[in-house]
Amino acid sequence: MIGTFKRLIGIDNLASEYAFGRDASTGYTSAKKIPEKWVATTCGYCSVGCGIEVGVKEGKAIAARPLQGHPVNRGKLCPKGLSEHYIIDAENRAKYPLLKKNGKFVRISWDEAIATMVEKFRAVQQRYGADSLGVISTGQLVTEEFYTLGKLIQLGFGTKNYDGNTTLCMASAVSGYKLSFGSDGPPGAYEDMEKADVILLIGANIADNHPILCQYLEANPSKTVIVADPRVSKTAMMADIHLPIKPRSDLALLNGMAHVLIRHGLIDRQYIAAHTSGFEALEKHVEPYTPQRVSELTGLSEEQIYKTAVLYGKAKAGFIGWTMGVNHSTKGAETVAAINNLALLTGHIGREGASPFSITGQCNAMGTRETGFASSMPGYRKFDDPNERAELAALWNIDEARLPAKRGLAYPDIIEGAVGNKIRALWVIATNPLVSFPNQDVLRQALSNLDFVVVQDGYHPTPTTELAHLILPAAIWGEKEGTYTNSERRVSKANKAVEPIGEAKSDFDIFLKTAEKLGCREELYPGWTKPEDAFNEWRRVSKGRLCDYSGITYDMLAQGPVQWPLAEGATPAATTRLYEDGTFPTADGRAKFVCAEWEPFPEQPNKQYPLVLNTGRTVEHWHTRTKTKEVPILERLSPSAWLEMNPRDARAMGLRSHDRVDLVSRRGRVREVELRLTEIVAPGQVFMPFHFFETNVNDVTQSAFDPISREPNYKQCAVRVERTGEVR
Amino acid sequence: MSLPLLERELIYTPANRFVQITKPQPLMPERKPRPGEQYRFHFDMTKCIGCKCCVVACNEQNGNPAAINWRRVGEVEGGHYPNTQRHYLSMGCNHCVEPSCMIGCPTEAYTKDPATGVVVHSADICIGCQYCTWNCSYGVPQYNADRGVVGKCDLCHNRLADGDAPACANACPEKAITIEIVDIAAWRAEHMAADAPGLPSSRDSISTTRVTLPADLPPDMGRVDTQRISVEHPHWPLVFMLVLTQLSVGAFIALWALDLMGVGAGLGIAAIAALGIAGLSLGASTLHLGRPIHAWRAMKGLRRSWLSREVLTLSLFAGAAHAYAGMLYFDIGGRTAAGLATAVFGILGVTSSARIYVVRARPAWFSRYTMIDFYATALFLGPLFVRALNVSDAPWTAWAAVAGGAAQLIAQTLKFLWLSRSEAFELRASSLLLSGRLQKQFLTRLAILVVAGLVMPLTEVPVAVTLALALAGEWLGRWLFFVSVVPKNVAAAFTSGRAA
Repeated sequence: MIGTFKRLIGIDNLASEYAFGRDASTGYTSAKKIPEKWVATTCGYCSVGCGIEVGVKEGKAIAARPLQGHPVNRGKLCPKGLSEHYIIDAENRAKYPLLKKNGKFVRISWDEAIATMVEKFRAVQQRYGADSLGVISTGQLVTEEFYTLGKLIQLGFGTKNYDGNTTLCMASAVSGYKLSFGSDGPPGAYEDMEKADVILLIGANIADNHPILCQYLEANPSKTVIVADPRVSKTAMMADIHLPIKPRSDLALLNGMAHVLIRHGLIDRQYIAAHTSGFEALEKHVEPYTPQRVSELTGLSEEQIYKTAVLYGKAKAGFIGWTMGVNHSTKGAETVAAINNLALLTGHIGREGASPFSITGQCNAMGTRETGFASSMPGYRKFDDPNERAELAALWNIDEARLPAKRGLAYPDIIEGAVGNKIRALWVIATNPLVSFPNQDVLRQALSNLDFVVVQDGYHPTPTTELAHLILPAAIWGEKEGTYTNSERRVSKANKAVEPIGEAKSDFDIFLKTAEKLGCREELYPGWTKPEDAFNEWRRVSKGRLCDYSGITYDMLAQGPVQWPLAEGATPAATTRLYEDGTFPTADGRAKFVCAEWEPFPEQPNKQYPLVLNTGRTVEHWHTRTKTKEVPILERLSPSAWLEMNPRDARAMGLRSHDRVDLVSRRGRVREVELRLTEIVAPGQVFMPFHFFETNVNDVTQSAFDPISREPNYKQCAVRVERTGEVR
Repeated sequence: MSLPLLERELIYTPANRFVQITKPQPLMPERKPRPGEQYRFHFDMTKCIGCKCCVVACNEQNGNPAAINWRRVGEVEGGHYPNTQRHYLSMGCNHCVEPSCMIGCPTEAYTKDPATGVVVHSADICIGCQYCTWNCSYGVPQYNADRGVVGKCDLCHNRLADGDAPACANACPEKAITIEIVDIAAWRAEHMAADAPGLPSSRDSISTTRVTLPADLPPDMGRVDTQRISVEHPHWPLVFMLVLTQLSVGAFIALWALDLMGVGAGLGIAAIAALGIAGLSLGASTLHLGRPIHAWRAMKGLRRSWLSREVLTLSLFAGAAHAYAGMLYFDIGGRTAAGLATAVFGILGVTSSARIYVVRARPAWFSRYTMIDFYATALFLGPLFVRALNVSDAPWTAWAAVAGGAAQLIAQTLKFLWLSRSEAFELRASSLLLSGRLQKQFLTRLAILVVAGLVMPLTEVPVAVTLALALAGEWLGRWLFFVSVVPKNVAAAFTSGRAA
C-alpha cells in the first residue's frame, strides 16, 4: 500500500529491481539476472544441439547464456535459447497428475495415476488384443528415456504400435538414408558447411529454423551457396543462387542434375565402380530428365539447372543439406534418396565438406531413431534381420519371439487405427498432435473414439492435454538429466538445473514407475535407478553398430560432447564422418542408386481451390508453441500467425495487408488469420506458419502420407482465401 | 580486472578439449575514443538474418519487460518474386551528435558522455514527462509505466568500459552488430552513411549508427509496417491541461482588455475563476508525470528544453494572474502593468506549450498549425468564459470568440488538407487516421466548431451552454491532436509492436 503510493508519486522508481551488477563471467548485467550458479547443459529445442548454461538462483532458472567453448554453437544461441529459462517456471506447467472425472480434471496421487493407467491399458489390451494400445512419443526426451520407453512399450506392454512425432518430421530422411546406404545415420557434420565449396540447401530455411548453423556458412571463406525453395525465404536471400522452384519439383531438379552430371561426365566413375550399385539403372532412369523437361517441371531456366549441376559436379567438396521442404512430402523418402544419388555419383560423401546431410528437427530426434524401438530396433537393427534379432535377444537375455517381427503402425496409421477402432487406448508423450497433426478433423475423430487417452507432458493445458483422460505431469528440460544427440551425431549431456515443478517427475522415473506397476521393472531394468544406468546398457547394446556409443561415458560427456560412432576405448576425434572408407551397411557393402520418378503433388489447385499452401516456421517459436508461448519476449516478437500472399493475387480480391482472411481447403477452414502481402511468395502460392493453435494451419492440410516413410505431405495442398465474414 | 574481449577470448581455455578457437572478428575497437571521437554502432545489413537474438539479449541484459525493447529489429522489403529482397534493420540508440532527446529533456536526465559520446539517461533524475519519447525520430527512449521513468539503450557503456562487447553485439550469430569509433567532425559531413531504407533521416539529430547496405537494393525497398497505423497515447492530463491553460490565458487577456476599456467592476470574480482554472490545470498536468513528486525538476532544463520554459512561463503567468486577480477583486488601481504581465506571460506560456510539440520526430506536429491551434483555443474559449460569467455583454467578446472558432475551423481544415496531400508517410498516415478510424471524432470536432464557434455565440443560446460545447470540442480536438500524430520511427517488423 505504502509501496504503491511511493511508486505513484514517484519517490520509488523500482531502482532496486532495475539495478545492475557484475557476474563473474557474463560481466556487467542486470542484477536480477545474476545467478548463484551456472549449470552447463544442452539446449532442448532443436537438433542443432547448442551448449547452454542455465543460471540458477534460489532454486529457479533465471538466466540462460551460451556455453563458451562448445564446439557446435561457438558462443551463440538463437532467440529461443537465449530465453529458454522462461519455459521452466511457467504458468502453463503441468504440476500434478490429473484424472478426468465427470468431465473435470481432478488431482490424484502418482500411485493412483500409474495404477489407473496400467489398469486401463491392460483392460483394453485384454479385451481388444495387445496391439490395441497405441503409443505416440516424441523427439524431445533424452536418449536414456527413449531407450527405456522402447523396452517398456515393446516388451512390457507388448504392443508394437508405437511411433514418435519424428514421423511428422524426419521419417523421410531416415527412410531415404536406409534406401541408399542401408541404414539411418546422417553421414556428415556441421563443419562441412564451413569446408564445402558448394553448398546446396533444398527446402531448408536454416536462417529461421537453425539460425546458429548460419555461422558455419558465414565462416566459410570460399563458398557458393545455392538454395532451392519456392519461397524467397531468409535463407534464399543469403544464397548466391536462389532456385525458386515450383512446389514439390525438387525430385525433378535432382534427377535433372543427375542427368547433367552423367551426360557431361561430371561423375566420379572410380567411386561409382568401387562403392555403389545400380548405376546403369539410374543412368537409364534419368535419361528423360533433360534440362528442357526439368525446366518445365521446376519453372527454373535450363541455365539454372546446368549451372547448379556443374557447380556441384565440379566442386572439390559438395554439401547438400535439407530439411522439411524435402521430408514433408509423399515423395520424401525417394527425394532423399535422389539427393544421396548425387552425392554417390560425384563421390561427395565421407569427406571433409562433402555430405548429403539431413538437418534434423528436434533436440533428440536422433536419439529416438537410434534407441527408440519404433522405426527400427535399438542400434538401427532391422525387425526382419534374423542375425540382428538374435543378437539383440541375446544382449537382453530374452526369448527372440518377444521381439516384434515387424514394425508396428506408424503415427498416421495409429490415428487411422483409432478411427477404425483398431487402436482403443493411446499414450501420448511430449507431443501436441492437436496442433501438429495434419487434417485435424480426422485426428479429433480418432481421439474421440478411444477408450482411454493418457497424455504425458510438461505443460497443461495444451490442446492435447484438454482431451486426455489422464494427465501425467513430466519434468522438462532443465529439470532432469540425460543425453541428446544432434543432427551431426554429436552426443551432448543435458543436465538438471532445478527441481521439477510441483509433483512433476522425469519421464525416466515415470517409465520406471510404470514398469514397476506392470511387474517388469527388474526384468527390463535390473538395478536401474538413474538415467546413467540406461545409458550404460545402451552403450552395450549399440556396441559394434553404426551408431556405436560404447566408447562414450558420462564422464567423457562432462568434458564436452562426442560424436558417435565411438568404439569402446577409442579416443574421440574433433569431427567424424560416416562412410569415409566407402563401405556401407548394406548386404554387399555398396550404396544403392535409387530410381525415383517425379510426380506432381497429390492435391493440385483447381478453380475452387486455386492456391497452393506451403507451411513452415518462424524463428521465434518452437513447434506447437507449448514452450515458447510461455516466453513473453518471444510472444512479443511473434504474437500471432499470418498468411503470406503475393500482392498480385490479393489485388484481384481487393485484399490488403492486415485484413483478416479465412483459409479454406476441402478439409477445413482456418478463421481470421492476418494477411501479409509480400513478394516473398510466388503468385499462386500462400504460406502460413504452423505454430499457432488459435489459427491452426493443420485444420486445412491433408491426410496424404509418404508410402515409405509415412511422413505427411504438409507442404502442398490446394486452398482458397476468403475475406473473413464474406460468403462466396 | 578483466581483459579486453579480444585477448580474453584468445587465452581462454575452453572446458572442451576438441575446440579450436578461431581468432574472432573484433566486435569492438581495441582502444578508447580520443577527443573529438565517440563510439557508435555499425550495423551490417548484408549479414543480419533477422533472428532477433539481439532483442532478446538486450532485454535480458537490461532486465526489461517484454513490452519494452531498447533494441528492435525491423523489416524492409522490395523487388518482385523471385527477385525479392527482405532485409532487417537492428537498431538500438543512435547516440546522435545532436541528441534530440537530450535537448528536449527538462530535467537534464540525459547526458552525452564527453569521453565516449554515449547518450546516457538517468532513471534517478528522470521525472517521466516522456517529452524525449516525442523528440526522438527513432523511437529510442521508451516509457516504462511500471517505473514511471523512461529508459533507453546506453550502448552497454559499462560493459565497454570493462572490455566486454555490448549484449546485442555479443549475441549476434552473424556479427552484424559491431562497435566503432567515429570522428565527430568528419561525421557531421558524412552522416548520410547512416541513412537506410526504413530509417528516418540521419539529419534530424545527426545519428551516428553506420549502416552497411547491400549493393543491389531494389528501388522500391521500404518498410513493411506502413499498413498498420496505430493511434498514439492520448495523454489525458495534457489534453485537460492544455485546453484549460489556454482558456485561462484567453480569459485573462479578455479581462485585461475589458479592464482597459473601463469595465472594471465585477471582473474580479471572473478573474478568480480563471485563476482557479489555471491552477487546476497546472496541478492536473503533474498527473501526466511518472514521478509527480519531482515535478519541480522540470525547471532545470531552461537552457534547452521548451518544456522547462513552459513550466517557467506558465508559473510566471500564474503568479502575475494571482496579483492581477487580487487587484481586480479588491479594485486596486495601477493594475495595468499587472494585467500586461499576465497577458505577456500567458502568451509566452501558450507559445512554449506549442513549441514543445513542434518536433521533427512528430511530423504532424512539426508545423505552424500547432501554434495556431493552441492560440485559436485561447481566443475561442477565453472570451466565451468571460461572457459566461456575466461580467460583460460587450458584443466584441462574442465576435472575438467567433474569430477564435473560425480560426480553429479553418486551421483544422487546412491542416487536414495538408496532411492528406503530403508525400511523407507519417503525415499521410495521420490524415488516414482522421479520415478513417478517427473519422467520427474528427467530424464531430469540426461540427462543434461550426455550431459553438460560428453560430451559437451570435444567438440567444445561453453562453454557458455554448461554453460547455466549445470546451468539449476543444478537448476533443486536443485529444485528436495527441492520438492522430504518427511519429517517425525505425521500420518495425510486420507483426511486432503489439502487446504480447
